[in-house]
Amino acid sequence: MFSRNHRSRVTVARGSALEMEFKRGRFRLSLFSDPPEDTELQRKLDHEIRMREGACKLLAACSQREQALEATKSLLVCNSRILSYMGELQRRKEAQVLGKTGRRPSDSGPPAERSPCRGRVCISDLRIPLMWKDTEYFKNKGDLHRWAVFLLLQLGEHIQDTEMILVDRTLTDISFQSNVLFTEAGPDFELRLELYGACVEEEGALAGAPKRLATKLSSSLGRSSGRRVRASLESAGGSGSSPILLPTPAVGGPRYHLLAHTTLTLAAVQDGFRTHDLTLTSHEENPAWLPLYGSVCCRLVAQPLCMTQPTASGTLRVQQAGELQDWARVHGVLKGTNLFCYRQPEDADTGEEPLFTIAINKETRVRAGELDHAAGQPFTLSISNRYGEDEVTHTLQTESRGALHSWMEALWQLFFDMSQWKQCCDEIMKIETPAPRKPPQVLAKQGSLYHEMAIEPLDDIAAVTDILAQREGTRLETPPPWLAMFTEQPALPTPCSPASVAPAPARTHPMPWGRPRTFSLDAVPPDHSPGASRSVAPLPQQPSPRSRGLFSKGPSRTWLQSPV
Amino acid sequence: MLLQGHQLRDGCVQPGQQRVEIHKLRQGENLILGFSIGGGIDQDPSQNPFSEDKTDKGIYVTRVSEGGPAEIAGLQIGDKIMQVNGWDMTMVTHDQARKRLTKRSEEVVRLLVTRQSLQKAVQQSMLS
Repeated sequence: MFSRNHRSRVTVARGSALEMEFKRGRFRLSLFSDPPEDTELQRKLDHEIRMREGACKLLAACSQREQALEATKSLLVCNSRILSYMGELQRRKEAQVLGKTGRRPSDSGPPAERSPCRGRVCISDLRIPLMWKDTEYFKNKGDLHRWAVFLLLQLGEHIQDTEMILVDRTLTDISFQSNVLFTEAGPDFELRLELYGACVEEEGALAGAPKRLATKLSSSLGRSSGRRVRASLESAGGSGSSPILLPTPAVGGPRYHLLAHTTLTLAAVQDGFRTHDLTLTSHEENPAWLPLYGSVCCRLVAQPLCMTQPTASGTLRVQQAGELQDWARVHGVLKGTNLFCYRQPEDADTGEEPLFTIAINKETRVRAGELDHAAGQPFTLSISNRYGEDEVTHTLQTESRGALHSWMEALWQLFFDMSQWKQCCDEIMKIETPAPRKPPQVLAKQGSLYHEMAIEPLDDIAAVTDILAQREGTRLETPPPWLAMFTEQPALPTPCSPASVAPAPARTHPMPWGRPRTFSLDAVPPDHSPGASRSVAPLPQQPSPRSRGLFSKGPSRTWLQSPV
Repeated sequence: MLLQGHQLRDGCVQPGQQRVEIHKLRQGENLILGFSIGGGIDQDPSQNPFSEDKTDKGIYVTRVSEGGPAEIAGLQIGDKIMQVNGWDMTMVTHDQARKRLTKRSEEVVRLLVTRQSLQKAVQQSMLS
């Protein structure tokens, strides 16, 4: 028995129950019968429309700014999804119409073009570094200026969002905990990442004033997005679907602005962390502008289905390499980059070890047909691998001509998939199932670093002294005399020697130091010289050499050591 | 006859890398690991005594306290820290690195480090 799993486009069979269902009058967006995938999409669209209505009501009922931010975010996500689903339905309808005009029977033989298998794409551990300037610190001294940010991720017609994070100047980067998984990606996928931000405090000009009493969504989306929504709704209006009722927000709610975006493709996939450039789209005048460093760090992995699911299985006779007449009967399972040969079909399911495994990778060569030494043995194929100096060939005999053809087809498909998915087929990349995200709770004020730090006077003075010593390169022979005023203990342990090539004596931190002090405010911008580390693009706005105020100027000449 | 392609069992660890799991020790109010770090993208890499490449701005272990949690876990002076609990440490400032290691909510940190002795051994074995 040979079976093959290859995802093909499902069509509605004539006379099937599904077709009957459609004939009974559940026509929606098209005059032709909808493939089941379209009903799935329609269902999702209806769901998003309902969610959107809920979000609008919630937004109208919000009294607190933070609740309004969450509700506006939900609204934004719903709108984006509605737009994308509608666009997709439109595209499919068009494709159907075009397909029907040049009709050919659905199973007239092998597909003219080979299409690569689908895969799962997961992006996680997203981190966007920030770069606060000194001026920011000295500016809003009393109040902590806060922003609400989240990421919108789109692959094909699927849109997902991360949780919303409150950012203030005490954060060094924006870190999202979410794992975002897309299940129907092709190797040509484009994962678009958009960072949206809004001020947590009311934008001064709009506070309280019912300024933009638009009857459309533009007031909570931003003008260009609102235009897009209206345009797409108008084009889809004639399709007979129920018109989407647009709400009238009472007061201009919080406005999210697009701060940055980027698009990731297969080339960015790696089983590890990588840094990618962000295209920054807002500038300093925009109230929601954040000092983004200009890159995003994340882990983007992809699991093509050909690696995780068996693509073919069946009975084979394998000629043991080197022994001409010895053919072992096995149950072969082609999965990922291996052909596993089990003693019995059941072994594959029970987790028994296979009798042996034949590697199938980019360098493997497969030949079908009669071989010289296998004369008289029909329906064979041979698989050759190179291991260092040696070439090892396995000859496999299939049950029939049809089975041989199917095995060859499965192998060609696998080679095609490997050529398309490239590095994803070297090894299976792990994807952790994203934990179900808790619904956004009432936001407690996120503790900032300043709340956590127990700053003692001794810490401060000593730390400042130390920084000065290192930066200025002077050697402190004795601790400053005034230090004795703050401590009963004898003076500081041996201060650090100035920066030198010889291994600096490690700064020992006995108890007087307590918890080390944060240096985030003192961090200099990263060195942008050509020798600097990988894939950091030069910033669109190069920060000018900053006056360090109290501390020394210029690029860092320190090599700090901190105990942990 | 078992024929496998060249496949690493543990897909994430490259040759020359090591996993180190450190259980923090409570000292009064603090949870400490018992080692010191140096380096960072905001530091001057030419002063790093442990790196082979003097433009390497990564995070290195500069000292390991005797009998401390890090020593017990097998961390060695000169190790370069690549990841902490899955977080990347190759492109961070000094302070970001310190914060990643000293999160109060985490009692255990799992580090991925590269060690020169290991790397050299791997390189030599690949050449032979």
